[in-house]
Amino acid sequence: MALSTLHNVRFAGMASCIPRREISNLEDCPPSQRSERERLVRNIGIHTRRICPEWQCFSDLAFVAAEKLLDELQWQRDEIDVLIVVTQSPDYLIPATAIILQDRLGLAHGTIAFDVNLGCSGYPFGLHMLGSMISAGGLKKGLVLVGDKSATIMDPLFSDAGTATALEFDASAPPMYFDLNSDGSGYKAIMLPAGGHREPYGIEHVIPKRDEHGFLRLPADLVLDGPAVLSFSTQRVPPAVERLLEYSQVDKEQIDHFIFHQANRLINETIRKKLRLPAEKVPSTLHDLGNTSGASLPVTLTARLHEQLDGAKARLLLSGFGVGLSWGTAIVDVDKARFPAMTEA
Amino acid sequence: MPSIDQFIESFLTAVDFQEAVEVAPDTELRSLPEWDSLAALGVIVMFDVDYGKTITGDDLKNCSTITDLYKLLG
Repeated sequence: MALSTLHNVRFAGMASCIPRREISNLEDCPPSQRSERERLVRNIGIHTRRICPEWQCFSDLAFVAAEKLLDELQWQRDEIDVLIVVTQSPDYLIPATAIILQDRLGLAHGTIAFDVNLGCSGYPFGLHMLGSMISAGGLKKGLVLVGDKSATIMDPLFSDAGTATALEFDASAPPMYFDLNSDGSGYKAIMLPAGGHREPYGIEHVIPKRDEHGFLRLPADLVLDGPAVLSFSTQRVPPAVERLLEYSQVDKEQIDHFIFHQANRLINETIRKKLRLPAEKVPSTLHDLGNTSGASLPVTLTARLHEQLDGAKARLLLSGFGVGLSWGTAIVDVDKARFPAMTEA
Repeated sequence: MPSIDQFIESFLTAVDFQEAVEVAPDTELRSLPEWDSLAALGVIVMFDVDYGKTITGDDLKNCSTITDLYKLLG
């Protein structure tokens, strides 16, 4: 059980960027599907989503978020020792997006830059990886960019976003607590089956087939086993949150905001009820920003709490869960950190 | 354990039917217009939150009537 504490790491700030283009799950679906869509929207809680135009990548959004954050913090580009990108929508399969962004952001050649392949659970893992590198004392400042481009017109769940979070070495910083977990036996619950080495792209992957509901699907499309993901999320996440609270000896009442990955309303409401958390302590962005994959924790902080958190003091519990299967929780104290308003690109 | 009538009431709420349907203990799940993946999610949540019982998608696939579902509570 990977429970751990990081010392000497200060949460300096974070910024989020979403595409300008908004689509509606109700207005932008064929009229013949309207009534079924209304029932779906009621249950998943997602009305509108943001979607990148064809040419725009996740890294374009993360780049804007990183620039905004560096400006807010007034950090010099050559002060950044580490740049970690957590995404499952890289610019290319090879090379790593983080290295391309090192140059694009004007960071020094001495920057450690690499990608991490995690999705919805990625934010606590990203904080832990960057935090661990900084905690040791050799590296002073770093950025972790988290998010994905996973929205499509027809799929009602996913929405695009890119985010940037800054951590720095500070011997007086309060501890950060983490509970991080993996269960590869569930790797088929959410997967893009084709295009890797296990199943390389072939001609068969570009021929659409009708699924059991009569919809045309490409064999290379994302596969999502709804009941399996729901069971995983609602069974694993609440005990993980309780375990971290116990480990850190922090009471629920001492947490100012509980931020959960924005999966869908059914999953999020079940988790909230099982943990007996009041709705006002659990902000949600599902209604207007959908499921933004790994970006959903920072996106929710920016969209719902940036004015309240900017320059202030608060204790946050952050919980990400999903593809892998993978789930992680962090308790982070923020104090005078910068939380600029949402940027659109 | 709830009575089967109480169970059917919870079931109707969980599935969130667009238009009212008549459901009896021997109703075939497949005959219901909205017995789909979304309904399955609602029913899994209902078992968990209302009755503290964990069921899987496969458990649901093995049920053909409302009574079969009700027996999963046992």
